[in-house]
Amino acid sequence: MLSKIKSGIRQNIMFYIFISPWIIGFLAFFAGPTLISIIYSFTEYNSITPAEWIGFKNYESLLHDPIFKKSLMNTIYFIFIGTPLVVAFQLATAMVLNNEVKGINFFRTLYYLPYLVPTVATVVIWIILYGKTGVINQIIGVVGLGPYEWTGDVHLIKPVIITMGMWAVGNGFLIFLAGLKGVPTHLYEAAKIDGAGSFRQFIHITLPMITPTILFNLIMQCIQYFQMFTESYVLNKGGPDYASTTYLLNTYNTAFKDFDFGLAMAQSWILFIIIFLITFAIMKTSDNWVYYESDKGR
Amino acid sequence: MKRYPYFKTLFKYLILIVGLVIFAGPLLWLILTMLKTRGQTLAYPPEWFPSPITFDGFVRLFENLPLFGRWIFNSFVVSTTFAVGTVLSSSIVAFGFARTKARYKFVFFSIVLATLMVPEQITLIPLFIIFKQIGWYDTWLPLIVPAFFGNAYFIFLFRQFFLSIPFSLDEATYMDGGNLWTVYRKVVMPLSLPALMTGFIFSFVESWTDFFTPFLFLQSETKYTISVGLQLLIGIQSQDVPALAAGAFISLLPIAVIYFFAQRYFVEGIVLSGTKG
Repeated sequence: MLSKIKSGIRQNIMFYIFISPWIIGFLAFFAGPTLISIIYSFTEYNSITPAEWIGFKNYESLLHDPIFKKSLMNTIYFIFIGTPLVVAFQLATAMVLNNEVKGINFFRTLYYLPYLVPTVATVVIWIILYGKTGVINQIIGVVGLGPYEWTGDVHLIKPVIITMGMWAVGNGFLIFLAGLKGVPTHLYEAAKIDGAGSFRQFIHITLPMITPTILFNLIMQCIQYFQMFTESYVLNKGGPDYASTTYLLNTYNTAFKDFDFGLAMAQSWILFIIIFLITFAIMKTSDNWVYYESDKGR
Repeated sequence: MKRYPYFKTLFKYLILIVGLVIFAGPLLWLILTMLKTRGQTLAYPPEWFPSPITFDGFVRLFENLPLFGRWIFNSFVVSTTFAVGTVLSSSIVAFGFARTKARYKFVFFSIVLATLMVPEQITLIPLFIIFKQIGWYDTWLPLIVPAFFGNAYFIFLFRQFFLSIPFSLDEATYMDGGNLWTVYRKVVMPLSLPALMTGFIFSFVESWTDFFTPFLFLQSETKYTISVGLQLLIGIQSQDVPALAAGAFISLLPIAVIYFFAQRYFVEGIVLSGTKG
């Protein structure tokens, strides 16, 4: 009996020893900084003179900050227009790759590659392609359009950034591919017997069965857009006229250009609340459209 | 009727090739561009193939930015250290979650998963202030040190994998006079090599492609990693398209090589994380 208790205590101690790196990291790089950022968000702090408590002033001033609003609207644009496009494109790519034809692995390998290209290099590639005399202007020139100043146009730069993201969908389509493989084939066989064509099979079998994967990829893509920085910064420093300034880029400017760290941390917290609300909203509505196999008995 | 399946296959390949143009086309264009002369890249209408094939872009790149080789070396050091740290620490922590019996295990594991959801930016600015205070600004420490304290995603991934290793092996190790530490070193780690490889490769790629962290914390050009250096190149040599393309190509080459040799680990990572759950 006593030895059993002893071994139990030892197991507990061993558990804490093994997870201690994570506990230390959690306190030092996560919980601590998080706490600091809450406190500082109520102060005026420029990293040189001591912080000064100003209550909710940072949060209030954001309400009247046109550039903050613009960056928020840009991020919302990416969330509401970019996310559905990217996720739909991920799914389409996965469907194309889900064919067991000869040499499919060759295609899968190359389709995935753009995902691994460093983001800065991706931007370089697309700067070249979208250039004034670049290939894209040349191609659309054939049908009499353009040439456009793609990365210098207020209306075009956000779509340009979305297409860059669509090019690097490797991870998303792999997850969809795994989801598609999980759909039981007997469902398709039954549908075929009932005379359903490819389109109806897609609508009535494939789509409902992969809704958990769609949910996962939707949320991942939203979070990615909320954290987007590199594309906007490297492409045109958030310009022209702040048209591609994302939320995080604006926060970066607030902290490291204006040296208003308190305001920047207030922005981080508002972003956190927005992300939480949007994720929560997606999860909440998901009850109505996501199908989990384990619910079958209900 | 008999010809129908033939057309169907043909159609499938047609779509696959359209996709290939979309995904591989830009990379091919990059390779073609870096082999062109400067004049060729400015030509309108564009010239598709380099003639003559020249490596002058590379020469000019290293002439104008002698640090470019240094940045690649820096990236190798930073990314390798980052990946070793991530795999080592995450596997130890994951082992604790998978192989010990403890009272509050579930609570701690829930916190690990919860940290996955919180966006990094919340902690980024306070971390910047802290790192600056303790003299880590303009060193590689902010890029490397956090990796040695476990990454929530890989803790989760490794735990899933460790749980699939039979517990009877633990018992056998105890019989032979081993302890939990022996189980970690002699049983779980050797049997988890595929998962660990996946973790190593993914974290290497993550660190290699990261722009924001090194951009935020590094000031001296001699300490830059390749992504930050490449960004500098865009500002300096935006007119010299072949040199720019050469720089982008060099920055993605190591990753592409790793990918072609270790492809199965990339797919495994997705399967391991079991997104269906």
